[in-house]
Amino acid sequence: MTGPTVVVGEVADGHLTGPTLEAIGVARALGRPTVGFVAGAHARSAGPEFARYGVLEVYVADDARLDSAPGGARVGPLREVLASTGASVVLAGGTTNGRELVGRIAIAWDAAAATGVTELAAVEDGVRVRRPIFGGRATESRRLTGERQAIALRPHAFPSPAESPGTPHLHEVSPGALPAPLAAAERTGVAPTVRGAGPGLTDASIVVSGGRGLRGPENFHLVEELAAALGAAVGASRAVTDAGWRPTSFQVGQTGRAVSPQLYVAVGISGAIQHIVGMISSRVIVAINSDASAPIFKVADYGVVGDLFQIVPALTAEVRRVRGL
Amino acid sequence: MEIVVCVKPVPDAETRLRAAADGKTLDAEGVKFVLAGYDESAVEQALLLKESIPGSKVHAIAYGPAPRTEEVLRAAIALGCDQATWVDAAGDSSGDPVTAARALAGVLAGVPRDLVLLGKQAGDDESGIVPAALGQLLGVPDFSCVVDLRWDPAGTRFRFQRPVETGVESWAVPTPLVIGLQQAWNDPRTAKLPAILKSRKAPIGRTTPASASAHSLPEKFELPPPRTGARLIEYKTPQEAAEKLVRVLREEAKVFP
Repeated sequence: MTGPTVVVGEVADGHLTGPTLEAIGVARALGRPTVGFVAGAHARSAGPEFARYGVLEVYVADDARLDSAPGGARVGPLREVLASTGASVVLAGGTTNGRELVGRIAIAWDAAAATGVTELAAVEDGVRVRRPIFGGRATESRRLTGERQAIALRPHAFPSPAESPGTPHLHEVSPGALPAPLAAAERTGVAPTVRGAGPGLTDASIVVSGGRGLRGPENFHLVEELAAALGAAVGASRAVTDAGWRPTSFQVGQTGRAVSPQLYVAVGISGAIQHIVGMISSRVIVAINSDASAPIFKVADYGVVGDLFQIVPALTAEVRRVRGL
Repeated sequence: MEIVVCVKPVPDAETRLRAAADGKTLDAEGVKFVLAGYDESAVEQALLLKESIPGSKVHAIAYGPAPRTEEVLRAAIALGCDQATWVDAAGDSSGDPVTAARALAGVLAGVPRDLVLLGKQAGDDESGIVPAALGQLLGVPDFSCVVDLRWDPAGTRFRFQRPVETGVESWAVPTPLVIGLQQAWNDPRTAKLPAILKSRKAPIGRTTPASASAHSLPEKFELPPPRTGARLIEYKTPQEAAEKLVRVLREEAKVFP
């Protein structure tokens, strides 16, 4: 007996996030009944957005405490939804919080678990998943067996679903009392991610990163202007963040963020292995570097060998022109 | 402060990856396994905390097969960990992080631990499941993607930041807790030769977890087709380079409208 799929929604700026929409699309493609779950201060207002994509049964735990408590506080209300719907699969978006929730629910719900999933299919005795490993240098397929599976997707691996509006049925879920160890943890603040006006690094479908080839922080605006024209997030190599040109939150690489956008543009980055493992799973890689023998050209799909101080402004102008900016 | 750091042996970054004969997993033959990536940062952070909080001890625990697991524990001792326990994974070839978390929790439940520290994800399977699963198994709060982890002796709690997709969170959390570390205060140290030699004779505790059947089984290990190198744009002026690049990105790669 196979039960429904529960999509765990996340909310930012009062709306369901992009990774949540990707999870909705995947859940619908599984071809089983799908229900939505969302917790936190905006659960009741954002929950109905599930219905825009054909997910009509929506469970909401509307309680601001769930936003400022450790992520473990969401396990209780989610378990209640899993029990009352007789669910077989929990699906979360490819975010830090989504991944953590999968780890916890694997224990709390005794489920098989996988994260960073780029393909999945229902099979006779469970779900088969495919996921990049070793920083995208290899891919594994795994079979998640048993009656319950908890899965977090890889960001940007799936398209947002087509709209299929309907009337939502909201079900209230009581968040219950916080377990004492969780209640003792205090979130003392939240600062917006330090970044330009564009999307966050790991959310972005285009990333433009700058490296040592920019020669100094005073030239980093070249990268930011190209990113702005492309609607891209701005990243940096470790050389740049170590030198303090940009905060470490910009760093793409083994010790920074791993990104997998549709398009990755490396400006003045030579391509140390440390950096490569953080961006190798991008769909298309473009490198702009004056050194034709730089290792970045081995992993890039397209390359421009030349002076970035000439190429990048010309590229920014051309992108603006074709996009009518 | 009783600090437990959990580590996992992973192939050295320079390893040429190959599928095993059955095509299901990595071929471990001849592969050099090391303490690396986020786990290395976790060990560094554990040692930094030990050095800054009087009376602290660091206990390294690893789940995995012989001989690689014992080797990374010796590396952890050479770096300065006080004690090591090997949780023998003999008989579990699933590579399932949930099974690993259950085995680790079995040992953690019986040792002193104020702080359980580990990398936010392992450098091989990159699942990031173990820190959260450990929090749930031990009944303590868990946080991953943590940076700037500091002990506040006046408030008797850890203070740290957690840069996630929606912003940078600041937390103050009393012990016990589980931390999946994104970054230590500084780059990991390297072990000195006398310490490496001494670590070879250090006693390593060994336990065997209660057998558990994994619900996640490997079916196929695949390598991507080799990247053949960039197609270089030929141009005479920067404008021409820009026009040609934008054209191929729009028409051929179809990555932006």
